[in-house]
Amino acid sequence: MKRRTFLLSAFAGTAALALGVNLYSPELSLPDDSEGKDYRLLFSVLLPVMLDGALPDVATHKLVAQNRTLDAIKQSIAVLPSEQQIELFELLDMLENRLGLLLLTSSMTPLLMRSPAELTEMLESWRHSYFSLLQTAYLGLRELVMASYYACPEHWSRLHYAKPELFK
Amino acid sequence: MAIIDPIVNGLNSGWQHIDASQLQKNQQFEADVIIVGTGAGGGVAAEILTQAGLSVIMVEAGPLKSSSDFDMEERVAYPNLYQQAAAMKTADKGVSIFQGRAVGGSTTVNWTTSIRTPTETLAFWEQNKSAVGLTRESLDPWFEQMEQRLNIHQWNYEPNRNNAALKQGCINLGWDHTVIKRNVAGCWNTGYCGMGCPVNAKQSMLVTTIPAALDKGAQLVSRAKVVKIEHHNGQVFALKAQALDVNLRPTAIELLFKAKHYILSAGAIHTPTLLMRSQVPDPHKLLGKRTFLHPTLFSGGVFADAINAHSGAPQSIYSDEFLWKNGAEGELGYKLEVPPVHPVLIASKTLGYGISHAELMSQFNQLQVTIALVRDGYHPESQGGEVHLTSTGFALDYPLTDVFWRSARRAFASMAELQFSAGALKVLPISDGMPYLSSWKAAKESIAQMSLAPLRTVVASAHVMGGCPLGEDKKLAMVDSYGQSHYLENLSVMDGSIFPTSLGANPQLSIYGITARNATKLAERLAEKLTAGDKV
Repeated sequence: MKRRTFLLSAFAGTAALALGVNLYSPELSLPDDSEGKDYRLLFSVLLPVMLDGALPDVATHKLVAQNRTLDAIKQSIAVLPSEQQIELFELLDMLENRLGLLLLTSSMTPLLMRSPAELTEMLESWRHSYFSLLQTAYLGLRELVMASYYACPEHWSRLHYAKPELFK
Repeated sequence: MAIIDPIVNGLNSGWQHIDASQLQKNQQFEADVIIVGTGAGGGVAAEILTQAGLSVIMVEAGPLKSSSDFDMEERVAYPNLYQQAAAMKTADKGVSIFQGRAVGGSTTVNWTTSIRTPTETLAFWEQNKSAVGLTRESLDPWFEQMEQRLNIHQWNYEPNRNNAALKQGCINLGWDHTVIKRNVAGCWNTGYCGMGCPVNAKQSMLVTTIPAALDKGAQLVSRAKVVKIEHHNGQVFALKAQALDVNLRPTAIELLFKAKHYILSAGAIHTPTLLMRSQVPDPHKLLGKRTFLHPTLFSGGVFADAINAHSGAPQSIYSDEFLWKNGAEGELGYKLEVPPVHPVLIASKTLGYGISHAELMSQFNQLQVTIALVRDGYHPESQGGEVHLTSTGFALDYPLTDVFWRSARRAFASMAELQFSAGALKVLPISDGMPYLSSWKAAKESIAQMSLAPLRTVVASAHVMGGCPLGEDKKLAMVDSYGQSHYLENLSVMDGSIFPTSLGANPQLSIYGITARNATKLAERLAEKLTAGDKV
């Protein structure tokens, strides 16, 4: 096994462990390449909570919108400066392993095994924390998810917004 | 009707442009003048110096993008045209900073507001910052010259509903308000100035001074980041640059620029950073300090009828009712304006997530947003921020101090009062923990008690200033009142970094006018020396 493959496998195992899922079970689409981490599983857990009320009501449409947002998150991360990427990856890595989860959330329970109410409780505890580290973790995830979701024209229908058509 | 792209046409006509991402080997360049940066300062300087007969090379870290690339989508504009994909923040993440990074600099993405440097600001610089010759009378001809050059006129069409609410609130309350002058020609009134003008109506540097300079033989090198000023015995002898790839990441290709004179126009973070990294003399430790942001607060007003704040000239009205209320050095004043409301901008700069956020977004078209830009750098307790070098770049520490929060509280109250007066059904101060407020009376009480803090209160900036101040007193200034370095004979600074305080006005016209004055003086000086055959 090449070292790179080994590392990726190790990551996938860690992620699956922390998220509490078999890697191949979700209906959500998995990355189409193995170039680096994109934390798709992690975000697939957070999106339904963070975008509650914004995602479409119909299940199939909701899944499409979530997958579109996961792609957009990957693109958003790709254009961040490397210093910000490193900071973000540190946070996401912590959320993908049990010790990190314990430090950030006082619980080792994998994120996918937490109910929406428990995930909301986690986000709220960061949001209102006295520790700026946790506040910035909340704000970083929030900004990334919101910017990625609303960057997609497919998600503007609830806003009743469209960009103008110019003759170009 | 196809829209003519002047950049594509210019390149086809033979402009000298090198995209450094395409270079395969190290390269050296020479000219009379090298200009680092192509924003408001660099663009104006390039045109004036080229017209004076000097050979000029403009070096820009960002890409050359033009109207063919401007598709009115934030997901394209932010990574292409903004520093750090519009995700730049102060070190503690307390302030988001929007600054341009493309040919044309911030003028490519600004909202076209053009305001002359306020008289109060100039007086403060003269009295407190050892500025000489920067008076109302001496500068107004330069502002007038640049207003003509860039077609800066009062916006005489109806303001969009977002601006109209600001105007109506001011009228109802008897507050000062002004119709904004804009640098546009044939504006389509679409509202997408912040993503690059798709129809080339905005008279940014990208479509005015830079093409004029290129037409006269100037050279443009894009995707090249100047990383070091080589200097010795008070003279600069070269600039070292790194070519960047198409994703603006450094490559191994190195570029060397040599000239008789060098101008830094990299903006109020990158100019001081470059000077610090190059260890230019700074005996009084001024570089990077007193960096100002006009830290800005947001208030959302929900109206019954459509505001459509994404549509129409983004800024056409401002109010200075509170800008100088307590005198220049008193409690911090603030300017009231409105921003355009686009999906990513508003989704990311509001509060919360889930149902509450989705509800706010569902009122997207009914949302009127007012902003208060706080005038920093005058009050003794408002010293601005400080740029530090890091192993890979820079960090900007900008402490949000008590004097700022006192101003913020007043600003939230002013904005709520204005929005209710203009007809808002409810108002949401954009600070975590605040509910929708249903009347001015309720707002007044709630805002008086509200908790304000970094990270909880949304603070943003689109105006970075200072860090390399002008003045004649070397204890206060790195450059003289003409932007000439006090320490390096053949180096000038022409950008917003030379402002010794914030302006109390959107910066572009101040940079245009003051640069026109300073570059004209420099051109005369260089021409005299060249004519005399001296070594410049």
